[in-house]
Amino acid sequence: MSIKLVLGRSRQVVRLAALAACFALFVAACGDDDDNGGGGGGSGGGDDSGFAGETGKQKASKCGLGNGKPASGEPIKLGAINTKQPGTDFTEIAKTAEAYFKCVNDNGGINGRPVELVQETEQTDPAQAAAAAKKLVETEKVAGIVGNTSIIECAVNHKYYEANGYYVIGSGISPECYGTPNYAAVNMGPRHSVTGATQYLIREGVEKLALIQSKVPGTEYIEGGFLAVAKQEGVPTESLAEAVPIQDANSVALKAVQAAGDGGGVVLNFTPPEALKILQAAAQQGLQDRVKWACSTPCNTDFLADALGTTFDDKLGVNAEMSLVSIDAPDTNLYKQVLKDYAPDIPLGSFSQFGFLEARIATDAMLGIEGDVNKESVNEAFKNIKDFKTDMLCKPYYFGEAPLHIPNNTDITVTPKEGTMAEKESCFEISDADAPIKRVRDIEKKDGNYTPVE
Amino acid sequence: MPSWDDFQPFIVTGLALGGVYALSGVGMVVLYRTTGVLNLAFGAVGAMGALIAWQAINEWGWAEEPAYLVCVLFGGAVTLLYGLIFGPPLAGRDPLVKATATLGLALILLGTMSWIWSDKARSMILPTSTESFMVSDILVNYTQVLGLAFGVVVTIGTVLFLQFTKLGTAMRGLANDREITATLGVPVRRVEASAWLVSGLISGVAGLLLSNLVGLDAATLTFLVISSLAAALIARLSSVVVTLVAGLVVGLATALATPILSISEYRDMAPFVLATLALLWLSRKGHSISGRAV
Repeated sequence: MSIKLVLGRSRQVVRLAALAACFALFVAACGDDDDNGGGGGGSGGGDDSGFAGETGKQKASKCGLGNGKPASGEPIKLGAINTKQPGTDFTEIAKTAEAYFKCVNDNGGINGRPVELVQETEQTDPAQAAAAAKKLVETEKVAGIVGNTSIIECAVNHKYYEANGYYVIGSGISPECYGTPNYAAVNMGPRHSVTGATQYLIREGVEKLALIQSKVPGTEYIEGGFLAVAKQEGVPTESLAEAVPIQDANSVALKAVQAAGDGGGVVLNFTPPEALKILQAAAQQGLQDRVKWACSTPCNTDFLADALGTTFDDKLGVNAEMSLVSIDAPDTNLYKQVLKDYAPDIPLGSFSQFGFLEARIATDAMLGIEGDVNKESVNEAFKNIKDFKTDMLCKPYYFGEAPLHIPNNTDITVTPKEGTMAEKESCFEISDADAPIKRVRDIEKKDGNYTPVE
Repeated sequence: MPSWDDFQPFIVTGLALGGVYALSGVGMVVLYRTTGVLNLAFGAVGAMGALIAWQAINEWGWAEEPAYLVCVLFGGAVTLLYGLIFGPPLAGRDPLVKATATLGLALILLGTMSWIWSDKARSMILPTSTESFMVSDILVNYTQVLGLAFGVVVTIGTVLFLQFTKLGTAMRGLANDREITATLGVPVRRVEASAWLVSGLISGVAGLLLSNLVGLDAATLTFLVISSLAAALIARLSSVVVTLVAGLVVGLATALATPILSISEYRDMAPFVLATLALLWLSRKGHSISGRAV
């Protein structure tokens, strides 16, 4: 072959290699993403099991006034901001909140007036998140913010909300959702959910702990609770992070097991698809019995339980921030009914539970307003929420005036059993070995919001 | 530094994945040599085939074997269709343009998969993944064996095919000089169509295997083509035997870096680091292995 052809072919290969490099950069931009966002695994979990069937024997709670009369008149506008981008879509949360508000509107609204949820989305762009908040507050002039779930929104907008007198009821991911005065999440977030999973493994008697999570900004924040609890119990630890999407699940599973060592425990903090890859790889390599396994809330989905078959039955402890969707209890039954009637395409699971609960709490607060329902009265009502009892949480939700809020700091452990998630441990307190939890408990005891676990 | 015992299980996972990278790489090299197209949609096609198989088994109640066959045939059909429609009009264009066009197909398929199946957790376990045997203290499942075996068998089969069959000879002729080959009466379009079809069938098989070795996730499977691409580039998009070796090396290097915690987080760079080093080395040596049939 002539030299010209050889050189020409070599140039072609180099140019194609350059194109491939650009492709790889594109992958790095799009693929190093996590379904539940920048907190590393996040605390949301999607469930694909669909509507589970009959509502249950216990009578469902009512939507709002529950009088069957359609609301009319000028709507009460509320706003929500959710992350929506390839690989991360939290809009299910706001849509479930909207579904609940529709039910409320069919049952008398808020003292006769319908609730309208204005939904904005952002794509992990600070400018976009700030613009969404500004639009809700200054253009839409929403009376309250309910249903926010975003990778960055708390960090970007919390000061803006504080300056404008908004008290946000949402589901948190980043530290600012749990460490600022104007945000009270219904969930506990990845840090505390990982802590709960860690506590489960310690109770199981592990000799060493390995935390493995997705490699995104916020991993140090998330492992803080894990390290604090392990240190208090005298259990050695190892922290690992993996780029997502995981491309060699077998190797990752092996690495986690080797890090934990014999008699050790592995805590996973990933979105359901990534956690499933690792758990299946572990099962295929016979590793499910080599160590004890635990996972933060995203693993709490019947779909994951079904996909795992029986390989991890009773061998995987999943920290569940909310009750199982299968329980027969008033609020949970109402939740299932609302989804069935108003949002049948949204599956049962943690995300829709968050949205439902946020809307329910907000509705309850607004129904207690005497006089005009406007921005001032709505946010005053949100701020004064105290002792909101629900079967979806281990203890009552509250807001109040405090420098930080983690109202959901007690939860359960569930485990896969024959294709669904079943309760393994009943309500337990997230350890106050972690400083933010201790601070919140002290505030709860001072303000009368502390509810001991029975 | 991890002990030898710690490394051993990673050799198994590395060889299994490497085998599939090699398999995919061979499919890409054969197609490139015949048509001049670097198919960046290779992974996306396999991913969609695997998801269709999942849909058939889990939602439509099909038996597993026909669903797996559909996955493979889907790979062949979509790739062939693309080649028939876009191959001729792009035939005279620069290879960079032809490769970029396949990127369009990859993105369309990726968008379609996200739209139909979203990014929820899914699982499709091949029967071979549930059967295993012990090698020393290491559990090896038969899907891992298949991954390596397919890579080797398809490479050997491709070498023999290119050397000893009429169609293979025609493909080599096209790779060397398309115009002269055409003037000799070789049915160029038919030969190219065969290459598209075979490459697509291989992508279907790779998609099935990777759905078990890695996970059934559209984005992950789509972008795994990069590791296969690295193997193909190391082989200068020319030699299928070098592609096999390179694929195994890429798989092993990536896996063996895993237990070394100081470099573990950088192991995803391994395919491109190896490809870059190989290309630099070959350039320094001043000769190209391109143009050789095997």
